[in-house]
Amino acid sequence: MSSAVKPGKYFVQGDEAIAEGAIAAGCRFFAGYPITPCSETSETMARRLPEVGGICLQMEDELASIHAVGAASVGGLKAMTISSGPGISLKLEGLGWGIKNEIPYVVADVQRAGPSNGVATRVGQGDFYTIRYGSAGGNSSIIALSPKSTQEAFDLTIECFNLAEIFRCPVFLLTDETVGHTRELLLIPEESELKVVKRFKPTVPPEQFLMYPLDTPGVINYPFPNIGEGYGICVSPYTHNSKGYASTAQDMQEKMAKRLVLKVTENLDKLVRVEKQKMEDAEFAVVAYGGNARPAIAAVEMAREQGMKVGFFRPIIVWPFPDGEVLKVAEKVKNILVCELNIDGQLSREVARASKGKAEVYHLGSGGVEPHLPAQIFNETRRLYK
Amino acid sequence: MSTVGETPNVLHPLVEKYLRKERMPHMACPGCGIGQVVHAVLLAVDELGLTPKDTVWVQGVGCNSRITYSTWVGDNVDAHHGRMFAVATGLKMARPDMNFICFTGDGDCGAIGGNHFIHACRRNLDVTAILFNNGIYGMTGGQVAPTSPVGAVTTTTPYGNIEDPFDMCQMAVAAGASYVARWRSTDFKSLANSIKKGIQTKGLAFIEVLLQCPTNFGRYVLKTSNPQDVLKWIKDHSVSQKEAEKLSKEELAGKYLIGEFVYRPERTGIVARYQEFLKLHQKE
Repeated sequence: MSSAVKPGKYFVQGDEAIAEGAIAAGCRFFAGYPITPCSETSETMARRLPEVGGICLQMEDELASIHAVGAASVGGLKAMTISSGPGISLKLEGLGWGIKNEIPYVVADVQRAGPSNGVATRVGQGDFYTIRYGSAGGNSSIIALSPKSTQEAFDLTIECFNLAEIFRCPVFLLTDETVGHTRELLLIPEESELKVVKRFKPTVPPEQFLMYPLDTPGVINYPFPNIGEGYGICVSPYTHNSKGYASTAQDMQEKMAKRLVLKVTENLDKLVRVEKQKMEDAEFAVVAYGGNARPAIAAVEMAREQGMKVGFFRPIIVWPFPDGEVLKVAEKVKNILVCELNIDGQLSREVARASKGKAEVYHLGSGGVEPHLPAQIFNETRRLYK
Repeated sequence: MSTVGETPNVLHPLVEKYLRKERMPHMACPGCGIGQVVHAVLLAVDELGLTPKDTVWVQGVGCNSRITYSTWVGDNVDAHHGRMFAVATGLKMARPDMNFICFTGDGDCGAIGGNHFIHACRRNLDVTAILFNNGIYGMTGGQVAPTSPVGAVTTTTPYGNIEDPFDMCQMAVAAGASYVARWRSTDFKSLANSIKKGIQTKGLAFIEVLLQCPTNFGRYVLKTSNPQDVLKWIKDHSVSQKEAEKLSKEELAGKYLIGEFVYRPERTGIVARYQEFLKLHQKE
């Protein structure tokens, strides 16, 4: 019997690495809708999932795909969907159902230049806040990891699936066209070397089990019984009590909202993932995430060659935002330059908030299509470096 | 005797057996037809020997969904407005061994979820879908629906509806469902038997029920609060397929046909096709 995981060295795109990471994590249901620049993930899933006995469906639209994914997870399968730009806008409708019902699944967002259709084939980084605050109604916390390479696309997709089970929620892989379409080396390890979290199952009989632990809002690793397991689960769009029954009571709304937020905010220590380079003696920090981290790292190296004390910082987890780590950077340096592929300033806004005035925060934006050039970031660094 | 808001002392044996007693009394308005349809569903479930372990109730959003959600003693999965068929697709593909009895309304299925409905029929998804058609938006207070008759005065068509309604059964037939039928809430025996047949059918069984909504359809369209008047209106505006053969085109205008429209159990559904497909391509 062959394994679902195929260890070895591959020369593939980030989009393909996402698919392989998902399969390695145990994903056995994928539903998507064709969209650039992530159709390669859907195509890889369509080829690979049947081989491992999984289900891959191309749905009628983005809404159907995210709802089918949430439902398949309720049915007991680890599940994922993927999209970009205008597709993500549509998927947000279904995201709320996943958040409210605490359904584990993964959504990958391969960002492209926007708004609207924008430039479908080229990079942008405009969905940073969209995925965090796009689901109407608030009262949610979002977990999102962001890879900078093909290897990380594989590794972090597995981690997204694990966090989805641990926190019982939809988890985002927030990537971009640069990573999605960069073809580079991917090392897939032996299956035994991978850390894969299985769905937690109740250890108490149905009459003692509460589907939604509203009285212990910070609890994680909480079981999720699926349909057909005798637990009589209740999943709905409505504010619910701990059994899942619809409620219009103010106290129930309060409890449910707190559960959805606190399960993440009370466990922030388990979620911090950042990358730092040359920060030990840095007086100036360059901050970037996703594919745009690559020119930023190159620019930091250029600055170091010129004798400038410049370091690099990257949030690998972008939501919940690693406030504490950013504050440490801000306390260390005088200036922070945030480089991102939007003009409005998204990551830079979070960095400024988390810095609490300890450092000057500058925004180097671009509308997208091309990632930043190392020289652009270097020039801006040299201009601001004092 | 029980008073409003209290659990009645005596429950129907089918309610005792299959519904959650703590969820009674249900939320239906007086005179609403949803209870009649649920009764027919429970009878079909009972006669087929389905159990809470092998059967899931799935809903969208609307009166039918809000009233039936979390009443089934087994698993209950209620989707966003319009997304019932998308959710049913994920559930059924994940658990092809289980039965899914799906409740949807004319707004849920015919308007906001129309695309999912058409594609579920095309895939011939192996679930039993029951469309509760009351011809109006009930839960939101009497707005026009894609099934409201021409001329209907509703809260959003104060001068009368100028649009033609959908024939949901004809859409299901054209899109490929295995079994399609329409009944009135008063056709109890036919409806219960039809639901039984639907549950046993491979592929999508789509059963539409014309039911009375005195609270909104009665109030705004017919200017009555009496459920009997609404039932009479449904009776006057529907005709069996056999009777229809004797009527002229003019006489049939604005009338719903009642009965079975298609039964093609030989048409395979997505579940059987996917299982065959996996036999060819699965390596692990």
